Amino acid sequence: MRHQPAGLIDRTFPYWSLLPAVVVFIVLSLYPLLNLLMMSVSTYRFEGGVEHTTFDPMANLRYFGEDPGLRPAIVNTLIFVFVAVSLELAIGLALAITVSRVSRYKGLIRTLIILPILVPPVAIGSMWRLMYNYDFGVFNQFLSVFGLGPVNWLGDGRFALASVIMVDVWHWVPFIFLILFAAVEGLPSDVVEAARIDGARQAQVTRYIVLPLLRPAIAVAFTFRAILAFKTFDEVFLLTSGGPGTATELISLHLYKVFFAQNNLGYGAMLSVTVILMVVSFLLVSRRATQGGKEA
Amino acid sequence: MHDRLHGLLKAATLSIALAGAALAPASAQSVDVGKHTPITILINASPWYAGFEAAVDLYSKQTGNKVNLDVTPYGGMLEKARNAVRGASSPYDLLNLDGGWTIEFYEGGFLKPINDVDPSFTLPKEMLTCGNTHWWNAQKRWRTPDGGKLMGVPPNCNVHIVAYRKDLYDKAGLGAPKTYDDVASACQKLQSPPGLYGFVIRGERGNPIRYDFSTFMVGHGGEFVANPQEGDYTVTVNSPKVLAALNQFIALAKGCGPANFGAIGQADLIQLMASGKAASVQVVIAAWSNFEDKTKSAVAGKVAAAAVPAAVPGQKPGVVIGNWSFALPNNATAERHKAALAFLKWFSTAEAQRAYAEAGGIPVRSDTLKSDLASKPQFAWMPAYLASVEASVASLGYAEAAAVEQAIGLRLNQALIGEMSPAKALNTAAAEVETIFSRSGRKTGKLPPLPE
Repeated sequence: MRHQPAGLIDRTFPYWSLLPAVVVFIVLSLYPLLNLLMMSVSTYRFEGGVEHTTFDPMANLRYFGEDPGLRPAIVNTLIFVFVAVSLELAIGLALAITVSRVSRYKGLIRTLIILPILVPPVAIGSMWRLMYNYDFGVFNQFLSVFGLGPVNWLGDGRFALASVIMVDVWHWVPFIFLILFAAVEGLPSDVVEAARIDGARQAQVTRYIVLPLLRPAIAVAFTFRAILAFKTFDEVFLLTSGGPGTATELISLHLYKVFFAQNNLGYGAMLSVTVILMVVSFLLVSRRATQGGKEA
Repeated sequence: MHDRLHGLLKAATLSIALAGAALAPASAQSVDVGKHTPITILINASPWYAGFEAAVDLYSKQTGNKVNLDVTPYGGMLEKARNAVRGASSPYDLLNLDGGWTIEFYEGGFLKPINDVDPSFTLPKEMLTCGNTHWWNAQKRWRTPDGGKLMGVPPNCNVHIVAYRKDLYDKAGLGAPKTYDDVASACQKLQSPPGLYGFVIRGERGNPIRYDFSTFMVGHGGEFVANPQEGDYTVTVNSPKVLAALNQFIALAKGCGPANFGAIGQADLIQLMASGKAASVQVVIAAWSNFEDKTKSAVAGKVAAAAVPAAVPGQKPGVVIGNWSFALPNNATAERHKAALAFLKWFSTAEAQRAYAEAGGIPVRSDTLKSDLASKPQFAWMPAYLASVEASVASLGYAEAAAVEQAIGLRLNQALIGEMSPAKALNTAAAEVETIFSRSGRKTGKLPPLPE
């Protein structure tokens, strides 16, 4: 028997049930974002202990042209993201495939590999700064055994960004490894077995079976890691503070200096919006590139 | 005869005892500041913190007034202070502000002038001026007691000194350096890298190089800006005098320091001196305790202090103040303001300053610095500090200071590491600083470019 038409509450219940999630979304995501957009087109000053806001988008736009630190920050960030994420993907993937083939102590090896991701960023910065130390650092001590060095890891513009990237790779390879290791372990064994029965060598299995099957997992790992790499701050802040010169100035660090050191809230907000747009553009381009590859 | 002698001795003993009794209460006497509500102080975890903590303990013991300390690393101080003053009610009753941040707080109207709380309050005449960064003339937008209001009390007049290895200097027949030429000569004699660097100075981009270079620049008679106190913001950072100073700075930093001269920060510099790898360093007085603490230093008892050397022989040394200032947030109650000011009154006394110094603090009273403490080996830095601080001037005393410092600090670093010629670095900095002032509506301009 068919029920009577539901009342207004019953009919609209699906929408009401979404309300808590919508409120949380508005309060935690939409409002801060809108507020940031408002800030980016305003200038701020404090007088008599009170904040005075003026709508003046051109004032903040003018800073873009006059900010000498912006261009190196954007260039360095793009280099940093491209090199660091590429290395992390390559090493993480190699480790995932290798460890998946290990028959004993797999759990222990997996635990050891993910250790760096558990170390707090401040400890990482302090630890690596000591290891890179020109006079006392372990790297230069090691090189001196072979009569080499010392290398000015953090103080020479030729090496500084590479040194920061090395720390980032050490820190984040475990993240890529974890995602890809789970994917490798979940690969259908029958497909791999069939390829082997057909006479495929290990390299061919990896090239033509494993890698194509891992493609979605690699795309996820790349997306997450690229987003995080664009926002890198703690490592570079603790290791070099952007120096020497502008060799390691990343966009997040530059943004921090504008926002907090210079207290330029309007331009800082506009830079924040720029970073968001950079990340979104980068991801759209990468997605298109990977989709293009798929079609080909 | 014997009785007379005995009587004289008795009289003399009695006189000494009476004199002692009269003096003893004076030295142990504490100012009566009354009973007050507990206060909370935002204080930085700097090397001199132990001295401040000891002074606070003594204050609580003597007065019964409770003090809570929020000990914060330097990097977190500014944001905590900003958040405190921008809220409805400050969680802190006293904010310890870096001299460089004070203008933002003065101009924003976030602080309570001291004499608005107690019109009768004056700083003791023995108090060091500390570059007058704790005074604010709102009309002139300048930190000066001339028409300005007292906005704080400094706990530390941080200035540079040169810390040098007395044992090595003595062995090489060298006296305390009086000029940077002396520093260079000593460096030539002692330099033996990588075991020993003759002279180390901070070259790290930003505040470190800007502040350490200032002693050279001011010593050469140079300035970043023509006359900001009178409203003339013509940029003079690309003057021949500043160029001469930069060349001298680069020669010493490169010729006498480690190969990573462009990345040397405060921690690296302290580490090099404390581990015995530096024969001399230019360092802020606040770092001194790192060299004399046997648990941290391999050279404890071997380090002496000299006042900032003259950049040009025969001329005055250029000392730039980098002090702190205790200030009262506006958004606290009158009761809390009075409680905070009671602490500042007590802290300014000779007795409090002595206790502060004995426990590792850097006192701000000239009588403490000239007292018997100065003759004790562990306080051998006091005469050099006093000489430096008396010659010191404030720098970057305008609202655009942070942006100006970033621009100059970057270009100086690029000149040091060879990314730009010194002349090009100064010309570039001048153009950037002029843009900053122009954007703020200041009366500005710049000198003709230096030949590159």
